[in-house]
Amino acid sequence: MSFKAFTLALMFSFGIPWLMIIVVPFSKMRHVEPIYFTEEADGRDDVYVPRRAGRIANGAAIYAANGCYICHTQLIRPSFAGSELGRPGWAGFKEQDDAGIPVDTRRETTPFDYVGESFAQIGLMRNGPDLSNVGGRIERYVKEDDADAKTPENWLFLHLYDPRKKVKAYWSTCPSQAHLFTTRNVYGQGSPDAVPGLGGEGEEVLPTDQALALASYLISMKKDDAVPYSINYRRDKKKAE
Amino acid sequence: MPTDDIAFQKDSELRAKIDRSLRHPVMFFFASGATWLALSLLLGFISSAKAHSPTFLDGCGFLSYGRVYAAHLNLLVYGWGCQAAFGLVIWLMARLSRKECSAVGIILTAGHVWNFGVLVGFLGIIAGYGTGKPWMEFPVAVWPMLLLSYLFITVWSFVQFRCSEGGKIYVAQWYLVAALFWFPWIFLTAHLFVFVFNGHPVMAAAVNAWFKYALIFLFFTPVALGTAYYLVPKVTGRPIYSYALALFGFWALAVIGPWAGMQRLAGAPLPQFMPYLGAAATILILIPALAVGVNIIMTIRGHEDAVSASPSLRFALGGIVSFLTLGVLGLVLNTPGTLKLTQFSLTGYGYEILAIYGFFSMCAFGGIYFIVPRITRREWLSRRFISWHFWLTVYGVGTVVVCSIMGGLFQGQAQEAYGSAWMDAATRSYAYNIGTTIAWSFILFGSIFFLLHLLLMWARLGRRSQHPTLLKVDDHHEASPHGPEGDLDELQSAEA
Repeated sequence: MSFKAFTLALMFSFGIPWLMIIVVPFSKMRHVEPIYFTEEADGRDDVYVPRRAGRIANGAAIYAANGCYICHTQLIRPSFAGSELGRPGWAGFKEQDDAGIPVDTRRETTPFDYVGESFAQIGLMRNGPDLSNVGGRIERYVKEDDADAKTPENWLFLHLYDPRKKVKAYWSTCPSQAHLFTTRNVYGQGSPDAVPGLGGEGEEVLPTDQALALASYLISMKKDDAVPYSINYRRDKKKAE
Repeated sequence: MPTDDIAFQKDSELRAKIDRSLRHPVMFFFASGATWLALSLLLGFISSAKAHSPTFLDGCGFLSYGRVYAAHLNLLVYGWGCQAAFGLVIWLMARLSRKECSAVGIILTAGHVWNFGVLVGFLGIIAGYGTGKPWMEFPVAVWPMLLLSYLFITVWSFVQFRCSEGGKIYVAQWYLVAALFWFPWIFLTAHLFVFVFNGHPVMAAAVNAWFKYALIFLFFTPVALGTAYYLVPKVTGRPIYSYALALFGFWALAVIGPWAGMQRLAGAPLPQFMPYLGAAATILILIPALAVGVNIIMTIRGHEDAVSASPSLRFALGGIVSFLTLGVLGLVLNTPGTLKLTQFSLTGYGYEILAIYGFFSMCAFGGIYFIVPRITRREWLSRRFISWHFWLTVYGVGTVVVCSIMGGLFQGQAQEAYGSAWMDAATRSYAYNIGTTIAWSFILFGSIFFLLHLLLMWARLGRRSQHPTLLKVDDHHEASPHGPEGDLDELQSAEA
């Protein structure tokens, strides 16, 4: 085999998969077409805008730099690839709203769920729970009677500072992110930003900017919006009447 | 015959010249690689201990689990893996092409740049500036530096290959040339598509997942196989069992390898053919693994004493057995039934460690035990150091892999049982993590023997002897088991 033929064969054997699974899909997915609600399926007639509020880009960078993706995933797979749709609170909620009407927001991940991020943190392992809907779960935790935090941010600060603080989570192997907080002595009335329930006598614990960004990012991860019929993969989805 | 004698003499002179020309860069890559390896293994031990005892070394940000784990794998890949590969490639290519190296200064400079890049990347990760893309966690400024120094390190090997006179092309050379050809393409593609081009976040994650497997199958695998295909015939003194099988194995890897990797995204919102093609390709890797495994093992057959005596052959065979295991595990872990269990469990880690440490590093150790005495003109000091290194590595890697794969499968089953409490799945891998921690400490211990031994050789404190350090001693030997001591050149001139 001549060198020229060898090089050509190498170029083809590598170049074809390179084009087929990297270059072409990448360029096709650069601009995902907008999805529309339709009158007959959804009962409304406008474009679907994925909504997500918070410091997404800052928080994603903190999430990445501290290796959260090693133990936490952000992917709800369809039922042929995994069964996390069935885990309570992971893929959305099946509950009753304030008026007592049953609501079911459970669905698998869509391409729009990572809006605002440049890299989808699919994750390496599930040593901890999936975080696709962690914002929604925390909102419900703080409504529980025995909640020691009154706002989702405070719940997260307590959790990030010491993941094993809650008696229910004594088994957690989540590393403490105490380095995202600063501890200082209380002067006068103390800082309004101090996290209630943290710090010793005469001390207060303040979240750094990194902790604020991370908390904002985590709280932004919710699966509670209505998605158009065409990308709602729920098995029991119904057309609007 | 006198003409044969002259040819032989000329041949040894040429080989000695090649070894002499390359002694500094090759030793530099091996020694700095082994140092990063020891650090990476220490970080592996710490991160594994943190996985079951989260309060271990708690309290400072730079030792938090997420950063230590990332630093551990990146140092294993770029600090140790790539540098060991560079040392192997430049030496093997010079010997096989029968060309002296004329760009030693540039290679050494580029090697220092590479090490500086790895250092900056390492400090960046533990200081909290990691990018959070698996195996690409070094801060973004580092990758152009690595790519540029790569080009200056390896381009000379390519030139040597092209300029070699008329001789035949060896199987080892196909693998080395292919590795040199694939690495920049893969590295540049992955970093451009993830860091530079503005695309869909899921697609960036897919490119990242592909990058890991492409680096394993199209860089570490060919370098390791090239080394094995060089060492085995050389040490046993026999030609390769089947040339046709070698050719088949090579092209099977070249055709199958580039498709693998995206199965990490099975179920993610991207065209579903991509992850499942990746799974299928990883299953098919069994084909080149079988071709290479059969070929190497058949070449060694009948020379079992050589395996027990020669450190190089023993390590190389260990690497090839790991490659076969890797092929079989690829089949077992990527079927649609098992993929959902292995996708987000410890299993992936076990598979990567088997590929990088069990397979590539074992072959690289084999190559290092062969090359270093030739370029330093000194023999390895201690038989015991070598055999401890071997057994601690084999048992350690075996334990890490068994714990991660089994633990990962059980963990995956618990994850799939969505009716049970999450605590059940989260604590399922606990015992296996403890096993992994113990095994890392064994591997770390073995690699410290290796590092010390290598540094002593670098300082030219090796044995001055004509007899290579073999792992099996001939009991009938009267004085030293290694023959007469003394300077190699003096002994030779005394004989003549």
